[in-house]
Amino acid sequence: MTSVQPPAPGRELSNPPSDGISNLRFSNHSDHLLVSSWDKSVRLYDASANALRGEFLHGGPVLDCCFHDDSSGFSASADHTVRRLVFSYNKEDILGRHDAPVRCVEYSYAAGQLITGSWDKTLKCWDPRGASGQDRTLVGTYPQPERVYSLSLVGNRLVVATAGRHVNVYDLRNMSQPEQRRESSLKYQTRCVRCYPNGTGYALSSVEGRVAMEFFDLSEASQAKKYAFKCHRKSEAGRDIVYPVNAIAFHPVYGTFATGGCDGFVNVWDGNNKKRLYQYSKYPTSIAALSFSRDGRLLAVASSYTYEEGDKAHEPDAIYVRSVNEIEVKPKPKVYPNPPA
Amino acid sequence: MGKKKKRTSSKVWCYYCDREFEDEKILVQHQKAKHFKCHVCHKKLSTAGGMIIHVLQVHKESVTKVPNAKPSRESTDIEIYGMQGIPPDVLAAHYGEEEDDAPSKVAKVDIPSTSLGGVVPGSSGIGYPQPTLSTMQPMGGVGYSYNSAVPVPPAAWAVPPRSHPWYQQYPAVSFPPPPPLGYAQQPLFPVQNMRPPLPSTTSPALQQPSQINPPGLPIFNPAPVSQPLFPVVGSNNMATQSSPFSAPTLSTSILSSSPTEVKGSIDAHSGANTSVTGNYQALSIPGGPLINSHSYASGPNTGGPSIGPPPVIANKATATEPATNEVYLVWDDEAMSMEERRMSLMKYQVHDETSQMSSIDAAIDKRILESRLAGRMAF
Repeated sequence: MTSVQPPAPGRELSNPPSDGISNLRFSNHSDHLLVSSWDKSVRLYDASANALRGEFLHGGPVLDCCFHDDSSGFSASADHTVRRLVFSYNKEDILGRHDAPVRCVEYSYAAGQLITGSWDKTLKCWDPRGASGQDRTLVGTYPQPERVYSLSLVGNRLVVATAGRHVNVYDLRNMSQPEQRRESSLKYQTRCVRCYPNGTGYALSSVEGRVAMEFFDLSEASQAKKYAFKCHRKSEAGRDIVYPVNAIAFHPVYGTFATGGCDGFVNVWDGNNKKRLYQYSKYPTSIAALSFSRDGRLLAVASSYTYEEGDKAHEPDAIYVRSVNEIEVKPKPKVYPNPPA
Repeated sequence: MGKKKKRTSSKVWCYYCDREFEDEKILVQHQKAKHFKCHVCHKKLSTAGGMIIHVLQVHKESVTKVPNAKPSRESTDIEIYGMQGIPPDVLAAHYGEEEDDAPSKVAKVDIPSTSLGGVVPGSSGIGYPQPTLSTMQPMGGVGYSYNSAVPVPPAAWAVPPRSHPWYQQYPAVSFPPPPPLGYAQQPLFPVQNMRPPLPSTTSPALQQPSQINPPGLPIFNPAPVSQPLFPVVGSNNMATQSSPFSAPTLSTSILSSSPTEVKGSIDAHSGANTSVTGNYQALSIPGGPLINSHSYASGPNTGGPSIGPPPVIANKATATEPATNEVYLVWDDEAMSMEERRMSLMKYQVHDETSQMSSIDAAIDKRILESRLAGRMAF
């Protein structure tokens, strides 16, 4: 399983998917990890026990997955379907469909709804309690300016990032139109968007090795706090190699966040103090996804080639689950010592 | 040596333990040996932050206090290098006190100039605490027999501690002492044999949580270490990157933006992260400030008044490189995302009935709708 290079830190999960990993998520209730893959499967692992607990096969590559509660979850597939997965019975059914591959799925506890974004340029909200069948479960369809690339929820807010660098911010209580229509501050294609756990804003990453830290509050004071930083770049032979930042994951307790890029590195940042807190040793290949466990003690890293350089031979796709040390993720505020009186 | 009160305020002193030194170079060596030294392997790092990270990464231990520091100065959050990084209030307080104690301090400072000559085999302190620099280490070890009482050619050297952002470390002592100010022009890179290899591969080891705020950088003000750790680009048009820190942070890009005051030489550092300009690398090492500093020649060849500006070291070649490196985007297709491109590969084409049927259904529905609108159908 391990390649010739020194093993990347963290325990490698056994029985990983046989093709690229598109996303992975820890449950909010346990250390179960749900993993969606290009091999058309969604797998449920018990990360602590390093055991595969369930597997679901779809009609096409699965691009995203999320938990509903510890016994069920949802998936977004390239076969245009949005599916509900019941782990205990190993059963799944189709909740509904889009007109093109479904790229993202998120469940909102606040609204009790499932939200999906697709390359068909729409966002759809579903009520998963309904029996299956699109007419029963679909709550609404909301057109987007472009294909949806990423979405993230916090509280009652939903942030949708699409192609063409559009960003729409919605209030889930009133989806008729976006609360804010924005443009990404970054000049390059958006890769991932994640809201801060404290609900004040979101982090947005692009294919150009940069992350922008944004705020929802449009007042001058809040907007003055926004900034962007470069990361996941390498300089060699007189040129800068700039990697896409594929994944962002916020630590649930400290509010610091990890970013993973095509350079195979995971960096942990303190957004408030604008410092990098840690960098984990390089993983065998691009980082496709990251997820912190509900207590922030584990970090799951999907080291899976993301085809940024086309179809080519690559390191085997693997999932590493590592224990997180406080020192790697805890913010260290600047202290100005006072001289002795 | 003048015994004027003024003299003592121009002496450099160590933030952590309040000891005074004749010049900054010795101060730095003191700091490295007393405050920035790893207690496990005795490796001397260049800053407290660097030492902490080294201990964490290599020995897996957490260090919370700066060793050998006075109780109120033990915080590891403050970035000190030589006289750089001292918070203004502490700085003011120190000099305020100095005025009163001047006489006694001066007396202390009059150190017998002993055999110092041999001590500073140019190498010493300059040893840039670079973990990967095998060449450096021995030097660091050897030369360090300083105590604060090192006499250093005075007068010409008494550089107001705060005003120079640059320190230079010369491994060999062939450079005549530089004038107190204006060295901004001198590139420092001891071109000679300091060629610590700094290939990007080793950087992971060097990567330190970017708490290190190399004080030697142009934007540095002795004041609060408030510079963002990672090169920050204000979305609201913050001007150029102000922190050439990219050097320390591995994956951050080199700040291609031109340095503020300093010159092209800074760019050199920026380039540091790469193995390109061999010589530079070493110095822009993570945690290392150090870029254009001038050595206060305390070596055997430099006793005596300053001779004039040291010869400009020939690394100008890199120093004058255009500020921007060529940028290569690993993914440059703005029109499609990586997943969309991947999906178009044959092996991922979805051929199942369902999706085909649903798209046919959709097409039919659409046509019906259009016809309805055209009023051709009854319903």
